[in-house]
Amino acid sequence: MSEDILKVKNLKKIYDNKAVVNGISFDVKKGEIFGILGPNGAGKTTTLEMIETMRPIDGGKIILDGIDVASKPSEIKKVIGVQPQTPAFQDKQKLIEIIDMFAAAYGERVKAKDFLEEVELGQKANSYAENLSGGQRQRLSIAVALVHNPKVFFLDEPTTGLDPQARRNLWDLIKMVRDRGVTVIMTTHYLDEAELLCDRVAIMDNGKIIALDTPKNLIKQLLSRGFKKEQHVEQANLDDVFIDLTGKALRD
Amino acid sequence: MLKIRKDLYTVLVFTKIGTKRFFRDRLAIFFGILFPLIFLFVFGSLTNGNNKISFKIAVLNHSKSSFSKVFVNDLSKQKIYKIDQTVHNLSQAEDKMQKSQLDATIILPSNFGNLDSNHIPSGKIQVLYTQNSQIAGQTLTTILNQNLKVLNSHFVNIKTPFSVSSKQLSEKSLTAFDYTFSGLLGFSIMGVGIFGPINVFPELKKQGILRRLHTTPLKVWQYFLSTMFSQAIVGVVSIAVQFIVALTVFHLSINGDYLSILIYIILSTFMILGIGLAIGGWAKNERQAAPLSNIIVFPMLFLSGTFFPRFDMPLWLQSLTTWLPLTPVIDGLRLLTTGGKNLLQIGPQLGLVLAWMVVIYLIAFRVFKWE
Repeated sequence: MSEDILKVKNLKKIYDNKAVVNGISFDVKKGEIFGILGPNGAGKTTTLEMIETMRPIDGGKIILDGIDVASKPSEIKKVIGVQPQTPAFQDKQKLIEIIDMFAAAYGERVKAKDFLEEVELGQKANSYAENLSGGQRQRLSIAVALVHNPKVFFLDEPTTGLDPQARRNLWDLIKMVRDRGVTVIMTTHYLDEAELLCDRVAIMDNGKIIALDTPKNLIKQLLSRGFKKEQHVEQANLDDVFIDLTGKALRD
Repeated sequence: MLKIRKDLYTVLVFTKIGTKRFFRDRLAIFFGILFPLIFLFVFGSLTNGNNKISFKIAVLNHSKSSFSKVFVNDLSKQKIYKIDQTVHNLSQAEDKMQKSQLDATIILPSNFGNLDSNHIPSGKIQVLYTQNSQIAGQTLTTILNQNLKVLNSHFVNIKTPFSVSSKQLSEKSLTAFDYTFSGLLGFSIMGVGIFGPINVFPELKKQGILRRLHTTPLKVWQYFLSTMFSQAIVGVVSIAVQFIVALTVFHLSINGDYLSILIYIILSTFMILGIGLAIGGWAKNERQAAPLSNIIVFPMLFLSGTFFPRFDMPLWLQSLTTWLPLTPVIDGLRLLTTGGKNLLQIGPQLGLVLAWMVVIYLIAFRVFKWE
């Protein structure tokens, strides 16, 4: 299909003689949403951090957009955008200044207002970051991560702690980012999220990748092994009820 | 060339936003500007007028003569004596002297001012003082003697073959406040340079804000430089406010040029801020930052001449404390504000500030951690 933007070969991270990431290999295609799933402590975040140049690589190789991560971390930083698990910003700093500041970190000037409008924060341009709700902070964080037109966008468990409306809104934003041609790599432990959003997922456990495919194929493989779930013919679930009752509009 | 311009643009934007953030933060304004101002007022009122020596005394007049009444009245008009009117007997006076609330007690005996056979008033004044006010007591005795000599000459015509005349030089001398002021400036530079970063950095690390910045190409030197610039602006504003108060309220006499003072304050703020950046940049959290900063700040606060003049220290301590980072800051500022010197004439202080700057920033760069 399309070319690979990220190649990970035999990647290792060792803490106290224990391999937290134990020789994993995978490729991510340009323009897809790639999910890394797994229980807590599986090594998802560590993997992400090594690709983001935030942790030294103990073994193996990562090539992102043709650049070797280990030898040219500052080149990598220019082509990636990062959304931290819990986005935080300095107090007494206006949203518009936050965008300006992050753009300046890349040596660039941008129209900050446009970026805020894209994530529905245009009206808050002159508020301080500390007055934002959790969902708004997430959206601001996405806007911030896009100021330099990155090629790959990383999100680490982005919807943890958000209400259903904010979660859905974030999903839409992630799709919007993908539609701009940015490759998205995210970790999550919400399976519905992965099934809905991700083009392909890697499932990690104990520092290893134990499965990697499209959500559909993974389900198909499971069924072909003779797995049977208790039959139920519900046309909706509690999530649908909640959204139907409270509406999709974003709460701040 | 383009890369350098881009890099400096980053510094410019970070400086601007950092400075704006400071002036929006009431707590930061309090600690950066008002807090030093409180010290200025405290020390200003303590030392103001200290150049005019005076004695707190009690006067016990046991005499009923009219001369004694005139004499006491005369004493109370002289500025050198501050007479405590609440003391009426010897035990009250002794009590107050023991508590150092009084320097001495003057006793006029019951026969003081009585006329002798030649119709001339006479008498012997007694000066009481305790061990802890020996110098004050002896000085007071001498002054009283002098007063009496003048008085005597009115009654008895005596020729004085020898006398002393004294003359005050017209050259400006430092008042106690002038001297203290540069110490206070040193204190506020320390407030801006050290207390700011050591409180802010651990919080930035805890929230992952520095880490987020680290995912961008932002470099440590850019971050340091922008912090240096915005803190220098804060420092200059803070010190300008103090200058205005010192000049208007406490009649500070400035004897030097303001450009030299400005440049020296900026350089000093850069240098002292390096200490804050090193501690804050190194520490993982408040628990690491607080003790380390105490170890570094308190000795400087007491030994560099902020509140206690260094010339009162034993010689070995003086020569040791000369080398502390804050000492050349305070000494240099003193020479620039009241010593009539300019930047080129304070080579040793300037050199020491620059040398410390190099050492401190080398350390700060080395120990800095983004998370």
